[in-house]
Order: sequence, then structure tokens, then C-alpha cells
Amino acid sequence: MSAAAPSSPPTDDGGSRPSRPPPSIFGLGISVGAVVLTVVSVIATGFSFAGVIEDLSRPNSSVQGLLNIDWSQVVNERTVAAFIETVQMAVVGTVIGGFAALPLALWNSRVGAPNAAVFWIVKVFNNVVRAIPDVLWALLFVAMVGTGALPGILALVFFSIAVVSKLTSDVLDGLDLGPVEAAHAVGARHTQMLRTAIVPQVLPAYSSFLLYSVELNLRASAVLGLVGAGGIGTRIEFYRGRGEWSEVWGIIVLFFIVTFVAERISLTFRRRLV
Amino acid sequence: MTTPPDTTPPDTPSRAPDEAPTPLSTAERTEQLLRPERPMEVFRWVVTVVVLALFAWGLSADIRWSRLIGAPAEFATIMRLMFQDPDWSALPGLLSAMWESIAIAWLGTVIATVFAIPLSFLAAENLVGKPIAFVTRQVFNILRAIPELILAVAFIPIFGLGARAGVMAIGIGSIGTLGKLCYEIIEGLDPGPIEAADAVGATRSQRLRWGVVPQVLPELASFAMYRFEVNIRASAVLGVVGAGGIGSLLSQYISFKVWDRAGLALVVVIVATIAVDAISLRIRRRIVAGPDAEVGGGDGESGAEAARLEAEELW
Repeated sequence: MSAAAPSSPPTDDGGSRPSRPPPSIFGLGISVGAVVLTVVSVIATGFSFAGVIEDLSRPNSSVQGLLNIDWSQVVNERTVAAFIETVQMAVVGTVIGGFAALPLALWNSRVGAPNAAVFWIVKVFNNVVRAIPDVLWALLFVAMVGTGALPGILALVFFSIAVVSKLTSDVLDGLDLGPVEAAHAVGARHTQMLRTAIVPQVLPAYSSFLLYSVELNLRASAVLGLVGAGGIGTRIEFYRGRGEWSEVWGIIVLFFIVTFVAERISLTFRRRLV
Repeated sequence: MTTPPDTTPPDTPSRAPDEAPTPLSTAERTEQLLRPERPMEVFRWVVTVVVLALFAWGLSADIRWSRLIGAPAEFATIMRLMFQDPDWSALPGLLSAMWESIAIAWLGTVIATVFAIPLSFLAAENLVGKPIAFVTRQVFNILRAIPELILAVAFIPIFGLGARAGVMAIGIGSIGTLGKLCYEIIEGLDPGPIEAADAVGATRSQRLRWGVVPQVLPELASFAMYRFEVNIRASAVLGVVGAGGIGSLLSQYISFKVWDRAGLALVVVIVATIAVDAISLRIRRRIVAGPDAEVGGGDGESGAEAARLEAEELW
């Protein structure tokens, strides 16, 4: 499984093959653990391939819809409006969340935090934010402020904070500390040090993560509507509720095109940045 | 928003030498000597303007911000209802539902890995021709773009309500990312060990066993573990559409405002996710770095790994 098993002691019988290295305990443990976890998971979920094959062999509304995609969704006024809302939500959510993420990322590292208390509070906060999935944020905000684009944007704000602060603070951990020392040496205050020694080093990566987070938010905002938080998911949920699968698949295809275009644009800029 | 520091070419001085007649004071001279020129900022300005314009356009959506005014008070109330007097009787049910979510994520990851490996052979340009590789890659791209929850929605009419639809959604959804990673590893294989195996007369299967598998396995195992962490987050909410796991309880408790149970449910999800992340991170480090690297063990992954994960779009 893993690399670098200890090399066997040299044998002095000349040209014969070297003795086999002992099996790695870690590798064995991981393999056994993976098999055991798989078996108990199968028991817990009642999953079986026979069941999957059987289900697939029955005719069902979803596959029939897929075979008969409703292309007119491209010109459906309400669908197009929902797509525009999705893009707007993604942009607003990323901009707000992304800007909030920069200080959170800076304070998440030992160099960037003004003191130990801030460091630990921010670290715990970031970990909790990162552990909550986007749809769960949406559920919570729908309960707090009602349905529509607002809870969706709030959910995306927190989702962007999770993504951007995590990725940026990982970059921070591998930072060149020379400029930090230089800033301290000329008597910079903490904020001055951050501004001149740390921020310039992480800015290109940070900007690239922001763009990446727009892509993620576009994808995420498609599902937020399933719980009432606006965007294209609202339309998917609408047609799903009526059992109109041709329309559902039409929207999914459109959604794929939109995210594909966004990814191309974003990739072009990210290449320029890094 | 910003840009990489564009450097001004050294051959364009800020003042042309022939317009020097205005004599500089000593202070100005020192200033000019000490301070480097500011880098070009055109790109920076363009990006800033574009982002602000997009942001302004985004704000024109039907947001109704006024609803935010009551939110902080509402938030405080909800927090109090959640954690003041949690309904502990719901805990066993929540724990077993969370366990189902973890099982769904794990099985999905296993299925995705099993299918991604053979499929990725069809996407590696050095194994099959360019046309086949191109088609397979587009399949990966499509799978990567569709969120698991949407797949789950589409799968429920096929597999019915419950964990089976969830496992299939996670499994199919992860094939794209794992397959992409896999073909990139295959295309980047070091030919040395394979040639060495050939040179000592290895059979086809021996060549695979000794030349290919040792190169691929650590990285693949580490990425599959990483994908498992990502899938936990997805499977925790699959229940929102009825595809099994803790999501159905979460969505019921939150939508019907059963806050004394919803709070517990949130804590269960957060603690379980963080715990799995922590265990998985240790295992991944050990897989990639080998037994000797365990001793150091800093805190947080290196920037290089973050950048690589980001580049693979595995979030």
C-alpha cells in the first residue's frame, strides 16, 4: 500500500534475489479497514448490485424523460429568468463571502493572527463553517428569513467563506517568512506587516480561489432551490413535483452548458493569475 | 480584487531623461531613489471595474434585503431554542442516520473508484487513441459538473426513496473527478519501472503489478480518501430529497422548526464531518509521505497540496 518499506538486510549469497520486504502493517491495516468499512456500509444501507440491476431493468419516468429531453426550456421565459437569478446569486455570494474570507484566512495562520485567542477562535469558526454543507446553510436561512434569493445568497456567502478561507490559509502555511521578518525589522505594526509582507504573497492565489468559488457557487446554487432558496433549483423542483421529467432534464442540460461556459471563462482568468 | 504584480519593463523609466530641467529637492531625490516604482495597474483596474459591475448587476436580483433586519434577532432566538434545552431523546436516531450518511458516502466512493479506474484507461491518450480519450473525458466532465443532489433527484424514480438512490448518486457523481485524476496519473507514469520489468522478462500482469500499480496506488488511494471527505458533506444533505441519511431528519426538523432537535442534528453533522476529516487527513498524509514522515506532522496541509487539490477541482 504505502511507499518506503524498510529495506531488507543485505544477504551475502551473491547473485540471488533479495529477500522480500516484510508486509507493511499500515498497508495491511488500511486494506483490512477499508474492506470492513465497506462490508458494514453495505449492511447499513442495504445496498446490492442485484437491486440496482433490477431497478434499472424496470421502465421509469426519469429515464423516459432523459430519452425525450424538452429543448424548449432554452427559450422558456421563467427558466431563463431563474438562470439569471442563479448567476446573480453566485456572483453576489462570492463577492461578499470572498472578501470576508481574506481576514478569516489570515487569522487562521500563526503568522497572520494578532494573538493566540484570535487564532483559535477563527480556527474553530472556520472548521465549523467548513463542516456545514451548502444545502444545510440554505435550509437554515430559509427558516430564518423566508424563501427566495436572499437565503440562497446567504448560504453561498458562508459556502464561499468555507472554500476560500480554507484554500487561502493552506497557501499561507507554506509562505516565505522573509518579508515578514523584514517588516518586523523596520518596525511595522501587525496590520502593516500583513498588508506589506503577507497579503501581496497570497493575492494571486486568493484571486484565483475567488474565481474558482464562483464556479462552485454556480453549481451549488442549482441545488439550493430544492429547499426554497431561489435560483434554477426552484424550477427543477417545480417540474419534479409535477413529474415532468423531460422538462427536468432540459433544465439540467442547460445548467450543464451554463456551468461549462463559466468554467471556461474562469479558467482563462485563473491561468492569467497564477 | 487583484492581479499578480505586473512588473514594469526596466527600459521604461518613469521620467524621460530629457524632461529633467525641474531640479529636485534632496527630499524628493531621496524619495525617488528609495521607493521603487509602482507596478502597472491596468489589469488590476479592469478586473476591479468588471467585478464591481457584475456585483451591482447581481444586486439587482429580487433579493428583498429588508428581510435581513429581523435576522440577527431571529438568529439569537433560534440559537437559544436550539441549545438551551436540546431534546436528547432524538440523539440515537440522529446518530444512526448520520452513520447511514457516512456509509452512503463510503460506498459511493468505493463504487466510483472501482468504475473510474477502468474508465480512465479509455481516457488516457497514451493507451487509446485521441478520439476515444476525448469522448471519455467529456463523459467525465459531464459527471463532474452535475451536483450529487441533482443526480439523487433524477435517480429517485429509478431506485426509489432511500439509501440506494443516494449511493448511486454519490458513486456516479464521483466517477468524473476520480476518473480525471486517474487518467492524469496514468499519462504521467514514469516509464522507467515498466521498462525495467520488461527488461527482466515480466509478463503482462507482472509488468502491471510491479511497474504500474506501485506508482498509481498511493496517489489514487489518497485522492479517493479526499473524495470521501467531500462526499460526506454531500451525503449529509441527500436526505433532503429523500435519498437516505441524516438529511431527511435535518430538513424535517429545520422546516418544521423543531429547534430543540435541529440543534442536536447540526452538532451531530458538524462533529462527524470534522472527525472524519481529521482521521482521513492523517491517513492521507501517511499514505503519501510514508512511515518516516509521520514524526514531524505539522498543522494543515502544505500550500502545494492545496493548490494541487484546487487544480484537480476536487472540492
